[in-house]
Amino acid sequence: MTASIRTPWFWLTVAALALLSLFVLYPLANILTASVTGDGPSGWARLFDNPKYMQAIGNTLLLATAVTVIATLIGVPMAYVTARHTFPGKGLIALLPLITLVIPEVIAAQTWLMMLGNNGLITRSLREVGIRLPSFYGWFGLITSMSFIYYTYVYIGVVSAIARFDAQLEEAAQSLGTAPGKSRLKVMLPVIMPAILASALLVFTMTVGNFAISMILSHRLPLLSVVTYQAAVAEGASDITMQSTLASVSVLIVMAVLFVNRRIIRRGKYEIVQGRGAKPQPLRGMRGALVAALAGLVVLISLLPLISIIIGAFTASRGPVMQWGSWTLANLERVFVSAPQPLVNSLTYAGIATLISIIFSAMVSYLVVKKPNILTPFVDYVSAIPLALSGTVLGVGLLATFHGGWLPLSGTATIIVLAYVIRRMPFGMRNGQATLHNIPNSLEEASISLGVAPVATFFRVVLPVMLPAIISAAILTWTTTVAELSASILVYSGGRETLPIQVFRLIDSGLMAYASAYGLVLVTVILLPIIIAARVFRIDVFALR
Amino acid sequence: MGIRIDDLTVSYGKENVISGLSLDIPEGCFFTLLGPSGCGKTTLLRTIAGFVPAAGGSLRFGGIDVTRLPPHKRAIGMVFQDYALFPDKTVNRNVAYGLHARGERGPDVARKVAEALERVGLGHLGDRHPAALSGGQRQRVALARALVIKPAVLLMDEPLSNLDAKLRVQIRETITELQREANITTVFVTHDQEEALSMSDLIGVMNKGAIEQLGRPQEIYATPRSGYVADFVGAANRLAARLRPAGGGLVEADFGQGRILATDAREIPAAEGLLILRPESLHLSTAPEQGFQNLPATVRSRQYLGSKTSYRLDLGNGIEVMADLHGPGHDGFAPGAAVSLGIDASEARVIAA
Repeated sequence: MTASIRTPWFWLTVAALALLSLFVLYPLANILTASVTGDGPSGWARLFDNPKYMQAIGNTLLLATAVTVIATLIGVPMAYVTARHTFPGKGLIALLPLITLVIPEVIAAQTWLMMLGNNGLITRSLREVGIRLPSFYGWFGLITSMSFIYYTYVYIGVVSAIARFDAQLEEAAQSLGTAPGKSRLKVMLPVIMPAILASALLVFTMTVGNFAISMILSHRLPLLSVVTYQAAVAEGASDITMQSTLASVSVLIVMAVLFVNRRIIRRGKYEIVQGRGAKPQPLRGMRGALVAALAGLVVLISLLPLISIIIGAFTASRGPVMQWGSWTLANLERVFVSAPQPLVNSLTYAGIATLISIIFSAMVSYLVVKKPNILTPFVDYVSAIPLALSGTVLGVGLLATFHGGWLPLSGTATIIVLAYVIRRMPFGMRNGQATLHNIPNSLEEASISLGVAPVATFFRVVLPVMLPAIISAAILTWTTTVAELSASILVYSGGRETLPIQVFRLIDSGLMAYASAYGLVLVTVILLPIIIAARVFRIDVFALR
Repeated sequence: MGIRIDDLTVSYGKENVISGLSLDIPEGCFFTLLGPSGCGKTTLLRTIAGFVPAAGGSLRFGGIDVTRLPPHKRAIGMVFQDYALFPDKTVNRNVAYGLHARGERGPDVARKVAEALERVGLGHLGDRHPAALSGGQRQRVALARALVIKPAVLLMDEPLSNLDAKLRVQIRETITELQREANITTVFVTHDQEEALSMSDLIGVMNKGAIEQLGRPQEIYATPRSGYVADFVGAANRLAARLRPAGGGLVEADFGQGRILATDAREIPAAEGLLILRPESLHLSTAPEQGFQNLPATVRSRQYLGSKTSYRLDLGNGIEVMADLHGPGHDGFAPGAAVSLGIDASEARVIAA
């Protein structure tokens, strides 16, 4: 250990830790302290005085609970039937992870509005036949749209748990005299429970941190992320007390959830048993048709955004009024010719952020996994912190920290790239660490024993082996970065709009046709690398998730 | 180039894994470090390679001090348990890797690579990737890769333990042949006594970070100097005994249920010791046999193993010994039978307890 101080790895670790401290720990500390420092009454006093803030917290917790329950109720049965049965159209279900990943939340929210909003396609056609739907703004829209987006996280998490579940346990239960249905419930449920709980808690935190849908659909219903954003926009960086207090509340909620999560895992009783998975049984006749129809419906609803932005992007409009049925290229003309700046900005910022994020996370995961020293555990912990911060919280933190002072970044393109990198770097880290754990140390030692110095060995042996995983990580980072809205909307300045910001602003002004056009380009920009990777490099990006 | 280790200390954190170890491995010697997992044999090998730093003492290759030299400058060739072939490179490029690192380029490299692969019998597989090779082929490539750079010493870390039994015997021969041919000083780590006995010029049996006994294979097997060595190398019946000199290099061992004349291999004379009886050196018959020291025994159980039959015998008072009879026909004593156990004084040994 003492000798490790002399190695180049140690100094790289120091540099990584310094960067992480400056851009992750320092902003976080600023948020937590700014609620009590500053002039006037403390943020916490103002929080408890103002019923709007208390309502926002209550509503957010209620919404998160409702969405978590519904998403779990949709996701778990769907995971079960797809893992254990084959039925007509099962292949469609495989598209699910793709859909959530590809469609930015802002676009999902927009398309729900285009269908079910006050002026929406479905709302209007139902009104013509005399059926009046409740207003989509508020609880109805929030719960519906979020549940139909977030159930996929439950689905993905539980499907892999059921696939890993040892079918022999079930057979053992049956051999001991329990009926098949009962033994499944008694044996399988406890084993996959941690996966269900973990994905449910993920949905909970994502709902709490959700910005785009909350902002677009909440209307007059106060929600935590919305009031935080409003406080940040209203106060700017001049008075960060209230926005920091609200951000601190988010941080505390997420910390509580993580604490619960750890308690569940630590109870130890739930240990994932790995073993031979069961062979899927075909479902035939009525049952098969029913399952296929239900699954098809869920997938169709999930696909709705994609279909409706394609229609919307080519539909003529006058101001906020969509002229359904009359087609035009004017919307796309605007995206590419008359106002291309958001596209250019998105490509530039997300490109740079992806590059930085991939290099940084490859290097840091290498240090953490292969060259551990006294500091690497801290690097590991700190680089995971952004996972627990919503985009809004991170935006507030960056705003509070880099406005003026010795490092004035606010209003620059740098701060947008910075927000991107910080938010998505943990995913690259996780991916990099998983890959490196699979590369035996002997590979490097073989190279060194053949006379190649350690640093050169990294480039000549480790990097080539990591390359496919790095490309996958780069694509994943790109897709999530280019769709980032909640942090960048707080730190951007005029002229630096990105595609998601532009879509958000157009929705805010009710210009759905333009929003659809920008949205369609955004989805294309996200999809292209995934398709290229699958076709050209034969890399299955999603196998890594 | 010989290897000379003086007063070597290796520590993980505050704990000394190896302390004050000295060892001299002559040039061209096939030296095996033998011991169970956790005995420090791999740590010692990795210290010789330079992957584990020495906390004290010195390490010399052919008189040159390499103690502070980083591993990539030590001119070692290393073969790993999991082969450690570079998965993204072809067999040819794997073998050429060390030559390229030494700045060699061009047709010379291709010729050396082809020769090295030819020598391990894989001349036709140069264009394949490691994933397309069997375990045995992979380990041959690893061997070619380590030898092609003409290293000063060859270090092998349990290279055969991922292979199945038949292949292991084959590759054993390949390794010893190549080693003799190149006359390269080799350190081989294994927990398999058969490998150690069949391949080595010298064996060091390791226990708790120290070399418990150093010697030729025959010495280690025939005259173990401790119960640990006797037990680890081959099977052994160990009986606590009171000892009394009997003259002519013999000692009388009283283990409670009888007295046996045995060969004395103790370094320090003591009244208490261990009587060591190898199962295959024992004889069984229905009546006492001439030329042996005979003891009455009862057969407790037997295991028929094809080429031999293994008997568990009760000598009375809870003292049990194992005896192996070789040949497929030697399963004639049924459990419960009274037999006579014959012991040859030259095959029985006493050692310090």
